[in-house]
Amino acid sequence: MFKKTPLAAGVAAFATIIFAGGCAVADADKSGKVDYTAMTPHELAEYLMFEANGGGGFNLSQEVQEGGTARERMQQDELQKACSIIDDGKPDAETLSAIRAAAQESIVYPEGGIKLGDWKKGRELAWSGFGYRIGHNFDDHSKREAGGTCYNCHQLATDRTGGTVGPSLTGYGKTRGTSDAILKYAYDMIYNPHVYFPCTHMPRFGANGMLTEEKIADIMAYMFDPESPVNE
Amino acid sequence: MPAMGWTATNKDNPLMEVSMFKKALLALPVALALGAAAHAEKPPEEVLQGLIDSVDSAYLTQSEQNLLMMPDNPALWVGMDGEDLFHTARGPNNVSMEACDFGKGPGVLEGAYVEMPRYFEDTGKVMDLETRIVHCMTEVQGFDKDDPAVKQRHGSGSDHMKLQTYIAMQSNGMEWNNPLDHPLEKAMRDAGEVLFARRAGKADFNCFACHGQSGKQVRASVLPNATVGEDWTKAISWPAFRVGHDNVRSSQHRVRGCYYQMRQAGMKAGSDASIAVISYWTDLARGQPAILPDMKR
Ligand code: HEC
Ligand code: HEC
Repeated sequence: MFKKTPLAAGVAAFATIIFAGGCAVADADKSGKVDYTAMTPHELAEYLMFEANGGGGFNLSQEVQEGGTARERMQQDELQKACSIIDDGKPDAETLSAIRAAAQESIVYPEGGIKLGDWKKGRELAWSGFGYRIGHNFDDHSKREAGGTCYNCHQLATDRTGGTVGPSLTGYGKTRGTSDAILKYAYDMIYNPHVYFPCTHMPRFGANGMLTEEKIADIMAYMFDPESPVNE
Repeated sequence: MPAMGWTATNKDNPLMEVSMFKKALLALPVALALGAAAHAEKPPEEVLQGLIDSVDSAYLTQSEQNLLMMPDNPALWVGMDGEDLFHTARGPNNVSMEACDFGKGPGVLEGAYVEMPRYFEDTGKVMDLETRIVHCMTEVQGFDKDDPAVKQRHGSGSDHMKLQTYIAMQSNGMEWNNPLDHPLEKAMRDAGEVLFARRAGKADFNCFACHGQSGKQVRASVLPNATVGEDWTKAISWPAFRVGHDNVRSSQHRVRGCYYQMRQAGMKAGSDASIAVISYWTDLARGQPAILPDMKR
């Protein structure tokens, strides 16, 4: 998914510093016990995650919705590594611009341009918090489709209570209009928001494969359609 | 009923409230009885009120109803059951938990919980309350590790929740102060700090995605800010009665729940990774008074 970009290169270097691939760092001492105090905090964190407690502190062998196992899901890609800074600090300016460039490259636009879908479907998708949860209560996508979780963080139509982790999107289409530029901006934000907000806390719904092109079109219709309750 | 995603499941169910009030009435004498016995110069609701008076926090004040109900917190019942269980000789070795060391010497519980996780000489490990109880059950009382007493970690009716609640209550109002003198304690705390910031999974979340700012909401829940001690002491004050679950819940249950919401892998109960997270989150609340037992959404 990530092309070889300056970010990938820079982060790869960073990654080797903090964590020398695999868990070779965890040399066992004479007693056969691993010495946690001999590791850096990053090495220990990776060790606790992937090796300790007989195969890792998490259930890593569980199969996940997108295929593969939880082990793969817990491994970080370049962006996740670059944005994982103690106390949630931001990386340096160069890394930030590399993140933006890589995010731009990740975005796949629909053939024939960005279109609005069915706002009624989009309304339910924006509301639904179902999807991609694993562990003790696995979300079975064959029983129900994965949603967009937008309401968890955003207020949209005010007949339902939304979160405030992100800004309010109430009246989005009404206030912003539906120019090509604003549609592209919204599409980019949903697909990979790191284009505009590097190291944002909003998920990459398109780039991470959480929403299909069709679902994005439906959610965008919910945001922009004049009939949608978002724009009442 | 819509999928709430990241929040409690049935907190909006009006029937819940009815059953809660019934319990509350029943619990009244318990609160009085235990209140006198435990370290309750300041009962939990007054500890919370003190925090509310000292800072402006939408998280601390989000449920006036819970604050009013706290003197009748159903967790007090669970703690009372825990008191009996703790002092009863049990297991193949027929000994009580008074023989167990929770960090301050065998049977000493006052202030023990606010100083956990900590390093234990006898295991050579940093342990949190839950893993220490497991150790005590298996090594001191002689239970098999597959015995339900050991295995069943969740629910107000479990031995674990009874014991955890009782033990934790002996630290009510005291300041969080997990020791970091031993190199392993420091290493676990530092690894926890890394885990807090570590983004992964389908949604790229780390803990700060939802706990890095004050007054933010996920849907209707106001989230605690991990960088504000007054918020965070309430956040980590477990066991707490979770109204939305109608059960008393533990720290381990909360860690598992947040990794679940993050679309990350299922936490293994009592894994060193979970203890690292709890070591760091306790350090973040250092110096703030614990609310034990607490009541949450
Ligand atoms: C985990 C929380 C979270 C979720 C879930 C989330 N967002 Fe966001 N969103 C944010 C944040 C935070 C911002 C602000 C960008 C920043 O500062 O990082 C944002 C910004 C946006 C913006 C730009 C707002 C503007 O001012 O123009 C749009 C559009 C948006 N989100 C749409 C969505 C949609 C649609 C969904 C569901 C598919 C969604 N978001 C899900 C957190 C979230
Ligand atoms: C996607 C958002 C999200 C992320 C990321 C997240 N949490 Fe939470 N967390 C919540 C929500 C929502 C609640 C409150 C639950 C409720 O009100 O039903 C919560 C509650 C908590 C609480 C207890 C506070 C309370 O009042 O219930 C603690 C402690 C906590 N989280 C720790 C963590 C840790 C540690 C991490 C990282 C491993 C984390 N959280 C990541 C959403 C999140």
